[in-house]
Amino acid sequence: MFATTLKHTCRLQRSSFVSLATPSFKRYFTYDITSDTTTQPTDVMFDRMKTASKEDDVFGMDASTNQLENRVAQLLGHEAGLFCASGGMTNQLGIRVSLHQPPHSVLVDARSHVHLYECGGIAYHAQASVTAVTPKGQHLSVEDIKQHAIRDELCGAMTRVVSVENTLNGTIMPLPQLEAIREYSLNQRYKLHMDGARLWEASVATGIPLADYSRLCDTVSVCLSKGVGAPIGSVLVSDKETIRRARHLRKLMGGGWRQSGGLAAAAEYCLDHVLPSRMKDTQARTLRLWQGLQRLGMQSALPVETNMIFIDTCGRVSLRAWAQQLLDQAHVRIDASDPDDRIARLVLHYQIPDHVVDNILDVTTTFVRDHGKEPSTFSPSNLQNAYPSANNNKS
Amino acid sequence: MIMSMAIKSKPILVKQAVCRYLSTSPVQRLYIQNNLHNDQTHTSQPAMDPNAKLYDFRSDTVTAPTDEMFEVMKKATRNDSVFEEDDSVHELERHVADLTGHEAGLFCASGTMTNQLGLRVHLTQPPHSVVCDARSHVHLWEAGGIAFHSRASVSPVIPRNGVHVTATEIEGNLIEPDLHTAPTRVVSLENTLSGMVMPLQDMQEIAALARDRGLAMHLDGARLWNAHVASGVPLHEYGKCFDSMSLCLSKGVGAPIGSMLVGNRKFIDRARHFRKLFGGGWRQAGSIAAAAKYCIDTVVPTMDATHALTRYLADQLVSLDIDLQNPVHTNMVLIDTARVGLNIQKDVAPALLRKNIKIGGMGSKSRIVLHHQIDKEGVDLLLSVFREVLAQHNTRKFQQEQELASAEA
Repeated sequence: MFATTLKHTCRLQRSSFVSLATPSFKRYFTYDITSDTTTQPTDVMFDRMKTASKEDDVFGMDASTNQLENRVAQLLGHEAGLFCASGGMTNQLGIRVSLHQPPHSVLVDARSHVHLYECGGIAYHAQASVTAVTPKGQHLSVEDIKQHAIRDELCGAMTRVVSVENTLNGTIMPLPQLEAIREYSLNQRYKLHMDGARLWEASVATGIPLADYSRLCDTVSVCLSKGVGAPIGSVLVSDKETIRRARHLRKLMGGGWRQSGGLAAAAEYCLDHVLPSRMKDTQARTLRLWQGLQRLGMQSALPVETNMIFIDTCGRVSLRAWAQQLLDQAHVRIDASDPDDRIARLVLHYQIPDHVVDNILDVTTTFVRDHGKEPSTFSPSNLQNAYPSANNNKS
Repeated sequence: MIMSMAIKSKPILVKQAVCRYLSTSPVQRLYIQNNLHNDQTHTSQPAMDPNAKLYDFRSDTVTAPTDEMFEVMKKATRNDSVFEEDDSVHELERHVADLTGHEAGLFCASGTMTNQLGLRVHLTQPPHSVVCDARSHVHLWEAGGIAFHSRASVSPVIPRNGVHVTATEIEGNLIEPDLHTAPTRVVSLENTLSGMVMPLQDMQEIAALARDRGLAMHLDGARLWNAHVASGVPLHEYGKCFDSMSLCLSKGVGAPIGSMLVGNRKFIDRARHFRKLFGGGWRQAGSIAAAAKYCIDTVVPTMDATHALTRYLADQLVSLDIDLQNPVHTNMVLIDTARVGLNIQKDVAPALLRKNIKIGGMGSKSRIVLHHQIDKEGVDLLLSVFREVLAQHNTRKFQQEQELASAEA
């Protein structure tokens, strides 16, 4: 019965009734590779939720939630954690809690999520200006911070917090660079916040333990609802006192939820079953996809280091036409809203299986063979256009 | 105290044998004393009997998800609701919007979020202010949200009748536009407040006043479900009075997490954007939405029984000479043990804990809250402990008096 209804939906959504593994229904699914936030909870997770504690987290009384918070804090080399509804919330809390009184400002990479995709939260929540720096190299460095930090105590809003992002657009900030930033921040008495929404990817790719990155920062936000696979949630970690204050601020932001134990249990399940091996497989799969597309004459706007490819068709094919072909032939959805019709962000996660990569490559090979042109010479457009919500891409 | 009701609503104040409303303390302090929960800053004593059932009377937020709910959650859709792709979330939002007679809904993580979002959308540019009951949750228990999120002042009104604000009182507290002022922009009401139902007629009068003055009307209807069940007023009749309403799903309704904001489409679109700003943009929320819808359908009909049980509890407490701070309309009993000489934290709470019963409050005041997961057995157990404590207290008192008397002799 479900086969016929699913067949006729054009923007397909994955039904929860059927497990992804069932071969007969595979061709009716659309695999969405625009973001790893699309990871869906599995039936096992709901069973696990039943066993969680059911106390009220507003009063900090829920054992399952506290357990998750402690576990993540420990993994990241910090004292305490706070489980919140979203990465936007944990980022804004992490930054807010280090800012006490204006005039003050936060220095960030100009491509940061906290600056571009959190609805102006830094200005709103902390009345702080943002110094958005386009780094000279791949990532923010001490030189960038030195050059752009605000020290003017008469007319300026002094830099108080530096916020780094790792991974940023799927690329990893090298540990030595982060260590240098840490040292400089300590010297200058800046607080250091890390948007580590995808820090897990960095650690899996490099083999460097999470704590080696995260203990260098005063506050760290790590997301559970992206590649890690949980339905909802993100954790902020820091020392006990900071987290206590963050909890209070969380209530102010409306993040004081009640029986969050079930959600915490689902997240723990993911830390146990998705993180250990599935993430590494996904990264290998991403590399394979990238290499295949590269052989077809496409380029990537950024290095492919984890689970993201900023694919640049280089004018070989129209991005929109390619996207339509992928949807029709391979049932794969990518975001083709770049006005220059060139760049798309492809994000893989553990629920995108191997055969999907094969299909993408097969379809693309045929498509490039039939419709491919000479690559264009002008340089690619602003990567921001590749972000899913940039062009209000709602059908 | 009989209140005049609109024709549609049925009388809700049940005659009680003896009812004394002691309200000599300032209203605000009263509420704070009642609600001193065992939160994380409090050292809580461990419950004594791990085998006995736990009864938590401190709030209806403690309603716990059931195995059935997790099965319902499993069947929900699992799409990304930040990009508005999830059917289960849409279904819940549509359902509550329909029930309340509004165009659209927004499903959020908490009542604080839906309240603050609702107010925030109305409050477009300072200087501006909100007028509300002095005991309002939005004013006292949302971490200063109105000032923080909306940069608005608050005009708190202390209602003379001790139950709800009236149109006259609201009118008397409105701030007119002037060089020096932060003019009133929103009237924010709460129903139920401390378990008490605000009559529809008063709401309608205030709504008429607000519309006349061009003010927005917001309702903190966290427990509007209880008001609806107790008064018989349909939700959409309440809905007509307000531009925006916040209805909680995680309290008496019993869902694990969540609250709904309803309003017109443009309003909700704006609220959705603000929700992302607040950090409330959650991903696969379909399962939580499904649990909430399930609860609306299955738990709200049980509220009548919960209210009846609450009235029974109140009657029994009153028969022990314990006073009530407020009339009992729905699922809350606010008691004052001053007259019988009991201290909640010193005398009552420890004794209750030994029987695995949790209660809040401090001094002589406590707020006891019932919900559908509390049975008559639990209520009777609570009452038996109260009787025991009172008996011991009276005996002690008698012995002390005897000693004094013999000392003087």
